[in-house]
Amino acid sequence: MSATALLHVQDIGIAFGGLKAVQHFSLRLPAGGLYGLIGPNGAGKTTVFNLLTGVYNPDSGSMRLAATDLMGRKPHEITASGIARTFQNIRLFPNLTVLDNVRLAGQLRSRVGLFGTLARTAEYQHQEDDLTRKALDLLSIFEMQDRADELADSLSYGHQRRLEILRALATDPRVLLLDEPAAGLNPQEKLALAKSIRAIRDRFQVAVLLIEHDMGLVMDICERITVLDHGVTICEGPPKHVQNDPKVIAAYLGGGG
Amino acid sequence: MSVSHPMPAASPIAATPFRPTGPLMGVLPLAIGIVVAVLLHVILPGFVGPYYSRIVIDIGIAIILAVSLNIVNGMTGQFSIGHAGFMTVGGYTAGLITYYGSYFIWGTLGKHGVFLGTGEWLFAASCIVGGLVAAGAGYIVGLPSLRLRGDYLAIVTLGFGEILRVVLQQTGKVLDDGAAIRAAGWSQWLPPPVGGAIGFDGIPKYTNLFWVYTFVTITVVVAYRLKHSSLGRAMISVREDEIAAQAMGVNIARQKVLAFVMAAFFAGVAGGLFAHERGVIISPKDAGFQRSFDYVIMTVLGGRGSISGVTLAAIILTALPELLRDFEQYRLIVFALLLIVMMIVRPQGLFGIHEIWHFWRRRSR
Repeated sequence: MSATALLHVQDIGIAFGGLKAVQHFSLRLPAGGLYGLIGPNGAGKTTVFNLLTGVYNPDSGSMRLAATDLMGRKPHEITASGIARTFQNIRLFPNLTVLDNVRLAGQLRSRVGLFGTLARTAEYQHQEDDLTRKALDLLSIFEMQDRADELADSLSYGHQRRLEILRALATDPRVLLLDEPAAGLNPQEKLALAKSIRAIRDRFQVAVLLIEHDMGLVMDICERITVLDHGVTICEGPPKHVQNDPKVIAAYLGGGG
Repeated sequence: MSVSHPMPAASPIAATPFRPTGPLMGVLPLAIGIVVAVLLHVILPGFVGPYYSRIVIDIGIAIILAVSLNIVNGMTGQFSIGHAGFMTVGGYTAGLITYYGSYFIWGTLGKHGVFLGTGEWLFAASCIVGGLVAAGAGYIVGLPSLRLRGDYLAIVTLGFGEILRVVLQQTGKVLDDGAAIRAAGWSQWLPPPVGGAIGFDGIPKYTNLFWVYTFVTITVVVAYRLKHSSLGRAMISVREDEIAAQAMGVNIARQKVLAFVMAAFFAGVAGGLFAHERGVIISPKDAGFQRSFDYVIMTVLGGRGSISGVTLAAIILTALPELLRDFEQYRLIVFALLLIVMMIVRPQGLFGIHEIWHFWRRRSR
């Protein structure tokens, strides 16, 4: 494990009323790391993602991305600082085209204001052309360029999942959070997904944090794994270590409850 | 469908869609629109007479209101039914400027100058100031949209129009001669003397085809450019999925307020045009929800987000009641039925989120 973490999370937690959804969650994700987050249903995995992306604000603890303090930030500010995510239940913009789903990321770093947009200044045109080119490049990397003009809604399930990942990459993230990317895929598709997650990590130089129920996939590609149960971290370490931890086995099989 | 996630080497696509560029493109659509406005102004009344010209003016004002409302309701997905409120704010503001301004500038009340004369420029400026004041109101009304959704937001916007209506009813009567204006002390100017419940009568009737269709052009061009820009995509993403929009870095609070402000600005301009129209006395009831609903119906019928669809709906729904004058009292019934039928048969509106020419292109493919 590298000494300096890109994403440094210490003891964050949140309670909804009396329900402590996540407690004392810590994570040190190094640049280029590929980590996993697992746990039974309702363990709080997605809540952790929601905390990391500012959907919820942690009650306690600290979060930093490199030198940027993430505590109390709004979701769009966190995205701007370099954390992108996908959703467990796909959340594309159904009535926008595939291209526009991706191009939307351009507004993050837009240098053209309302006036420039409405007057269609040369700078605005230049920026829009740039954006379109970048989005088409990204689509072609994922072999989706010929679907650029289709509505996101009309894509097949697999393509929607793929589009969601590449849309997140369009924001130029340093950390990519994937929430169950393999859900609903068949074994061959999962194999291909495993390969492409590694490839994405290498090509886009992002650190990846993965929530996944498919143990084979997680054990195969993740360097370190954090196991949550009832909002508490019960185990953390390399796949081998996690696999043999009796607490993890108990959490999944219900033994020792 | 196989779901491989292949990662071939990047093959940059050089071809970007053809789009003429250059500074000329920035002003060309506006120039064309203004030329059309001049032609309408010069030619149309001679052909169809004052009655039908008046309907064409009404249609223009309705287009401005419907297309601007569509920025909030259609593009950004915030359900506002207070659009007539913004219109009325603009109308009263503009009327106040031209009515009392005429006295302070020229020493007399009433219309000044010929076509494109000084009076008309004062009028055009007053419409823009009316738009700006309405935009300020839009900012304030837009703020609750950050916390409220759907029906709840609709009720706030509805409340805005109703509050405005009641406030306007409490204003003093219009000062109708120079002596009264000179004699008026501060207490008579606050609140401004705009006629109370009977309405603001005596506003000089400057509105003509030229100014209406110039502002129609500006509104439509702005709406279209907005829709097809990064800014517009950010607004549409708010409509589509707020959580995903935030995750993509969209500041949804900013987009919602911006949508309200822009829509209110154009509604205010339309209000200025409306207040100066022949045969119109702007009155507190114009701020009420009935008028707001007319524009909501236009956006729903045209298709939420479709600029051309909403324009077409504004034309039809303004012309139809005029052409069927005898059935005036059934208007609301017909509109209601039309909406119910639309909701059942085509809930996305005539054109959904698309523009008319998209259908043309699809067919010709």
